Amino acid sequence: MPDAVEAIGLSRTYGVGAAAVVALADVSLAIAPGTVAALLGPSGSGKSTLIKALGFVSPAQRGEVRFAGRTVVKDGVALADLARLRRQHLGFVFQKANLTSFLTARENVELASELGGKADARRRAHELLTYLEVIDRAHAYPETLSGGEQQRVAIARALANEPSLILADEPTAALDRARSRAVMALFRKVAHERGAAVLVVTHDHRALDVFDVLYQMEDGRIGPYQHDPTKP
Amino acid sequence: MNLAVRDVRRHLARFVATAAGVGLLLSVVIAMQGIYAGMVDDATILTRAMRADLWVVQRDTRGPFAEASRLDPSTLARVAAVPGVRSARPYTYQLIQRRHHQQVMRIAVVGLGWPDDAGLGLPLVRGRQLQQAHGELIADASLGLGIGAVLPLAGEPYRVVGLTRHALTSGGDSVVFVSVADAALIALDQPAEATVLERQRVVERLRETDLGRGQPALEAVATDPRWRAPALASPPVAAILIAADPLRRDEIRSTMASWGDVTVYSQREEEALLLGGVVERARMQIGLFTVILTLTAAVIVMMVIYNLTLEKTHDLAVLKLMGAPWPRLLGMVVQQAWLLGAIGYAVALAMTTLAFPLFPRRVLITDTIAALAPIATFGLVTLSSLLGLRHVMGIDPASALEG
Repeated sequence: MPDAVEAIGLSRTYGVGAAAVVALADVSLAIAPGTVAALLGPSGSGKSTLIKALGFVSPAQRGEVRFAGRTVVKDGVALADLARLRRQHLGFVFQKANLTSFLTARENVELASELGGKADARRRAHELLTYLEVIDRAHAYPETLSGGEQQRVAIARALANEPSLILADEPTAALDRARSRAVMALFRKVAHERGAAVLVVTHDHRALDVFDVLYQMEDGRIGPYQHDPTKP
Repeated sequence: MNLAVRDVRRHLARFVATAAGVGLLLSVVIAMQGIYAGMVDDATILTRAMRADLWVVQRDTRGPFAEASRLDPSTLARVAAVPGVRSARPYTYQLIQRRHHQQVMRIAVVGLGWPDDAGLGLPLVRGRQLQQAHGELIADASLGLGIGAVLPLAGEPYRVVGLTRHALTSGGDSVVFVSVADAALIALDQPAEATVLERQRVVERLRETDLGRGQPALEAVATDPRWRAPALASPPVAAILIAADPLRRDEIRSTMASWGDVTVYSQREEEALLLGGVVERARMQIGLFTVILTLTAAVIVMMVIYNLTLEKTHDLAVLKLMGAPWPRLLGMVVQQAWLLGAIGYAVALAMTTLAFPLFPRRVLITDTIAALAPIATFGLVTLSSLLGLRHVMGIDPASALEG
């Protein structure tokens, strides 16, 4: 079975000349289906740039991204309909829940399912909200939900199109330790039960045991995570 | 799932209030068109109601509406004798202002050539035509007089026997119709003080002549009211209206062209004179005002839609990141613009029905205006959504990842 997503030699530089900043320097990684991977690293190390490249939002200038074994971006050129790929096969979870403000919790999930071309979007939204234990808040607008509820709805939304790749950018930054661990465990559950590949960008070292693979970025380069005993 | 409707539902009160504001703006644009249409209709209703084939007026004037026209009453017999003329009747027109029941009334008094013309062509909504030469009038309902009401004019009571609707001048003044004889009395009406002064002037002029100085008894004769009336010339009429043999109109006109004291206009020419002379400037003014208002409405609607889009920038970025297709995002903006236009148009429509009849000037919503208004509104809001659409196109989905 091919990897859910594979990056080969991704490079990206912001600015030119002396002001140039290397965000990605020959980054390669692969995430298999059913794997939950963590991407750690300090601010400015290139994590968000990598997420954007893997999420087909902002392609790298050089390198290749393969999705389910098929090259979809090469040297900054899209070889497929990236918006269609995103709505049908990708799920995003952000640091803030970023729920659509004028839709209720259920509608947020239903919309993602609808965009992904899934039949019976409403029933699916109901199932996911039940699965994530926020069904009692289905008709609430995002602004009336707690941070934890918002994040669970956001995860439900990310799952609504049955994605083969979920990209989460610091999804637990706004949560306390217990909720943070619960969300990470949820990612693991989703990956293992539904076969999705999950890549989580995180600064949180308290729940690393949840992940199958750990990556670390530093100055635009990626490598295996090296445990720093000075960090909790 | 319709995103436009969902967004409106979330901010329903604000959206409806905004749409109502747009509606009021649209109603002003429609009102301007309606005022112009009303002005044209008011201006031409008088000429049309007279059912004349030809209008004979004072030579080289554009009378009787665009400027004063005075014809000697004897012209009537001369006109009637022209071959091809089936009937001829006098017509007078004057503006007066009277106070009645503590209310100032500005009235256009039209003299009809009774009994030939008792008001047959008038747009009567109640009552009847004139049945006697003196003391009756037909009034426009806008004066607020009912059937049987009495209006004192020239010191005599005039009973309202008929009511018209929308018989107004191009200036919006209400019209009353009386016989030509009564119109002459009203025209010559003057207060007692003026009569005394006039008599004094007659005496003074007489004393300046040899005849007056030599025969002082003439003073008493010249100022005696009993002698005065027969001594006066008949008052002039404003026009003579002709019912002509349709095949001989040109012949009638060419006959009268040789007369030195009259000019002849067809019904259409008379209307054109009225519209060109009296209404043209107002038409230009209202036209320019409408253009400015339409542009203002377009800019305001554009800014409203742009702001509605602007405040959803982050939501739209997230939707773009999720891969929402272009038509869905652009459709959201356009549909909201249409909804704004639809509610706005409904408000404008309610205004035309409920508020416009209360306006002091008639606001006439013609079939053309009624048909064009929704189409123009639709076009206006669609065009106005372009700025919002441009903003949607420019949103970077990556910005959703930046918190």
